[in-house]
Amino acid sequence: MYASRNIRLCNKDCVCLFVCPTGATDTETGQIDRLTCVDGCRICVDACPSHAIHLVVEHYPEPGPKSPSLTEAMIALCERKSEQERTAIAIADVASTAGAARLARALARSARILAEDCAREAGYMIPQCDATRELLGRIATDQDGEIRAFAEQLRGVTALKR
Amino acid sequence: MPDTTGLSAVFSNLSKAADKQQLFDTAERFSKLSTLFPGAGPGEPTIESLRAEVARDVERDYPALQAAGTEASDRGVLRAVKWGEKVTTAQRALIDRYTAKGDQLLDEKKLFVCEACGFIFLGDEPPEICPVCKAPSARFSTVK
Ligand code: SF4
Ligand code: SF4
Repeated sequence: MYASRNIRLCNKDCVCLFVCPTGATDTETGQIDRLTCVDGCRICVDACPSHAIHLVVEHYPEPGPKSPSLTEAMIALCERKSEQERTAIAIADVASTAGAARLARALARSARILAEDCAREAGYMIPQCDATRELLGRIATDQDGEIRAFAEQLRGVTALKR
Repeated sequence: MPDTTGLSAVFSNLSKAADKQQLFDTAERFSKLSTLFPGAGPGEPTIESLRAEVARDVERDYPALQAAGTEASDRGVLRAVKWGEKVTTAQRALIDRYTAKGDQLLDEKKLFVCEACGFIFLGDEPPEICPVCKAPSARFSTVK
């Protein structure tokens, strides 16, 4: 685990620069240098008066089991929201006024966020979970071209991170 | 597993999850993969047909999911259902207001979307906290 600074909360120029044993906090980019940060050290995290630093976790637990029927219902809702997003985008494309197009784009964005939330609660919570790995595996088998290439790369990444 | 209709959202959600873990390359790849699944085309691209879909979720799907989530004691699903039901009800209300007043409703007003829950807000500035999910105003994006 290494430290990461939220630059929106950071008030600059204070104790993390003094306490870090390796100088990882003192960089010109405003971000902490991940390569010199000592795994799990967290001195700067506790010292920062603005609560601007946290540790980035590298190993995530497998999400708890889900009811299969509930998972299916959430996937079905994800698909409906995705259809609504596409309908809204199509409305925006043919809208006769700027206002109608803007409203449709707002509805499309909203539907996308709802679809994503359904996907999350259907078990596709993080890249490093079994549901995601299974899905990428199926896509790598079923699809070809660019989609297969991405699915294969991502399978590699999500497998490694466990 | 979702059919191709929902895959774009599955992958854009995973892109966000990777981004929050600061796995920026992985986030980028999921994001790209997301754009490769445009899914099936919509039926009729009219605001009336969209309103009917949204209303069906409010009246039928959310109550059913609320019951199923309670039965399975799945707090995550119940949270998503609670937010989703409110956001979708607000979508329907906004469509109805637009249908009644037309472009006049939007004149000189901005549309904001809460990136955490999807709540749409019409006004001059985003609300200080999202009335649905309590995210701060910085989580609202402005619809161009
Ligand atoms: S201690 Fe906290 S507030 Fe101070 S410079 Fe470091 S991150 Fe910023
Ligand atoms: S966690 Fe320790 S090593 Fe890493 S930046 Fe903070 S003080 Fe430095």
